[in-house]
Amino acid sequence: MSTVTEQSSNVKIQVKDLHKSFGSNNVLKGIDMDVREGEVVCVIGPSGSGKSTLLRCLNKLEDITSGKVVVDGFDVTDPKVDINEVRRHVGMVFQHFNLFPHMSVAENIMLAPVELKKMSKAEGRERALELLERVGLREKANARPASLSGGQKQRVAIARALAMAPGIMLFDEATSALDPEMVGEVLQVIKELADTGMTMVLVTHEMGFAREVADRVVFMADGVVCEQGAPEQLFGNPQQARTQDFLSKVL
Amino acid sequence: MEKKRTAAPTGRLARWIAAAAIGLMALVVGAPSAVAQGSESVEGQTYVIGTDTTFAPFEFRQNGELTGIDMDLLRAIAEDQGFEVEIRSLGFNAALAALSSNQVDGVIAGMSITDERKEIYDFSEPYFESGVQMAVAAGNDEITGYEDLEGKTVVAKTGAEGESYAKSIAEEYGFEVKSLDQSATMYESVKAGSAVAVFDDYPVLAYGIAQGNGLKTVTDKVPGGSYGFAVNKGENTALLAAFNDGLAELKANGEYQQILDSYLADPTAAAPSNFFDLLVKSIPALMTGLWHTLLVTAISFAIAMALGLVFGFMKISGNIVLRGIATTFVNIFRGTPLLLWAFMFYFGLPQLTGWEISVWTAGVLTLSLNAGAYVAEIVRGGIQSVDPGQLEASRSLGLGYGKSMQKVVIPQAFKMMTPSLINQLIISLKDSSLLLAIGFTELLYQGQQIYAANFRVTETLLIVGIIYFIAIMALTKLANYADRRFNK
Ligand SMILES: Nc1ncnc2c1ncn2[C@@H]1O[C@H](COP(=O)(O)OP(=O)(O)OP(=O)(O)O)[C@@H](O)[C@H]1O
Ligand SMILES: [Mg+2]
Repeated sequence: MSTVTEQSSNVKIQVKDLHKSFGSNNVLKGIDMDVREGEVVCVIGPSGSGKSTLLRCLNKLEDITSGKVVVDGFDVTDPKVDINEVRRHVGMVFQHFNLFPHMSVAENIMLAPVELKKMSKAEGRERALELLERVGLREKANARPASLSGGQKQRVAIARALAMAPGIMLFDEATSALDPEMVGEVLQVIKELADTGMTMVLVTHEMGFAREVADRVVFMADGVVCEQGAPEQLFGNPQQARTQDFLSKVL
Repeated sequence: MEKKRTAAPTGRLARWIAAAAIGLMALVVGAPSAVAQGSESVEGQTYVIGTDTTFAPFEFRQNGELTGIDMDLLRAIAEDQGFEVEIRSLGFNAALAALSSNQVDGVIAGMSITDERKEIYDFSEPYFESGVQMAVAAGNDEITGYEDLEGKTVVAKTGAEGESYAKSIAEEYGFEVKSLDQSATMYESVKAGSAVAVFDDYPVLAYGIAQGNGLKTVTDKVPGGSYGFAVNKGENTALLAAFNDGLAELKANGEYQQILDSYLADPTAAAPSNFFDLLVKSIPALMTGLWHTLLVTAISFAIAMALGLVFGFMKISGNIVLRGIATTFVNIFRGTPLLLWAFMFYFGLPQLTGWEISVWTAGVLTLSLNAGAYVAEIVRGGIQSVDPGQLEASRSLGLGYGKSMQKVVIPQAFKMMTPSLINQLIISLKDSSLLLAIGFTELLYQGQQIYAANFRVTETLLIVGIIYFIAIMALTKLANYADRRFNK
């Protein structure tokens, strides 16, 4: 922990010259990116540019080919680091929710805290209900995921990712698999989370939302960070031709 | 004649292994009490006599009781001479092995007196004159002698005297000889018309006809060997003498002929009269068989599940060596017949290693390794069918690989695997019937034992089939119920 005055400039995620290839396919070609505590960073860019891969390198769901990734003080690229420990500090929300279908909503949320012996079953359930309250789904605690709508599923997935009280949240296109009428409720939850000061990296196609919620927008193309900046600058006055081209297609 | 059922070499081997196992058992239990070596008088003595398991009409079980010509003769002689007998139904070769090691005092087992055997045993006077005879279907009036066999096919028992006799005249009369293993199947093929006639041991044939096997004899019997009661050379002389005296006495007073007639002449003597009767008489043995079938399947499947889990996980592991081992295991046991392994474990392994392998051990090894290979594939498929996102979600929460598998992936995989596992369980249960080939006393084996004694093949098989069907239906219902209960 740094001093309170320096907190806003405290770096939570540090990415240095990150390379990632799948076989001969070089997907990330030297990414440099820092995320400060409390910062909300939105990553945008064309399909296949490596946004998901970047996000998945942050909690080592993908093996890192070369470069350095430091998350919450842990050097993820260090082979000796306890990656499970790191992941407890980093919540992740997936495009397709990935809720556990054989468990109730509450059990989905309790699983990690209880299995990792952070809480008793009763405490875990208590915590699950609190988190469900926060995403507005307390009454669904005993429901099976299959009985929920897409928007509700994603809100449960967010609650689940918050169960270990992570300091960082990663979202990979959290609203892309949703019917349009459900996008709003999920974005609302994410926005509330951002308002609490959570450090977040969001990969998104929702440009309006990125503009509203992001402290900084990162535009990726072909495995590199092409341009980044404050939302009004990047959306209002993009410098790079690639960025202008991309934005002209999606806005 | 040379001893009946010389059969396939595997059969002989099986008996030797059984003999060895019984020898060991006897060593553990302690030698029988009544090895009365060369005593002066047999009066009041108890002798332990070894015999075969099923060789109708000489020895076979009826309603659980050991009966047959040998048994009746021996008991009548013992009564006449005032001694007691304790009969051990060991199997032919096992009985001889037990005699050699003095665990029994004598053997009576429809055994031909041969020069070879005379070197190690002392034989009684022959008590039965055997020989080969030819029979045709009861309704067949065309075949009345060998000269009618021109261009036809006959059946005979592999390795038995009937076969050598049939072959010796086959060229002269222009017929073909097909060899089969069991009397019962030979008679069935004559009735079914795939052969016109059968050459078999006269007493076996006569008994079969007496049991209503639907055949009739059409030629005179060709004189063959004679059967004798045996003791170890130079031992139990008093017993041997008493046997001879008693036999002479029975022949003189007509009891001997009575015993023979009761098996070979009276067509209604012992046969179950109708289907229901057959059912009632065969149920106890078949239930034992069913129990053994269920038990060997249950034990084997439990082991197969453990093997399948281990090898299934190895198959999806990132380690190329583990993957290679698992793939090899699966390919070996999926790529070879089950029966081959049954023979390999029961006959091959003891010879290679010198270990005693019981028929249960061999049976469980065979079934569990075979099913284990299939279960491994089911496990692999089940795990791979779970969305990889599930594992990622669990790992991203900070749960380790093992915990994630245990809590998230396996429960879902298991649910998907259940129908295939139930299927495999049923296949294993049915496959367990193949173990009859190594003498495992499962359901179909018991059925064979029954029709070997009463020659009612079709009806017995029908009953066995119904029992299998009911057992499998019940098992399926039970498994589906459990599936619904635990995999909601
Ligand atoms: N597991 C993998 N194995 C091989 N190639 C992969 C794998 N994951 C991603 N790739 C490749 O990496 C490249 C970048 O993929 P990535 O999913 O990071 O793109 P993205 O920017 O998230 O695209 P989208 O907007 O479509 O989600 C693509 O060419 C993809 O085919
Ligand atoms: Mg993506």
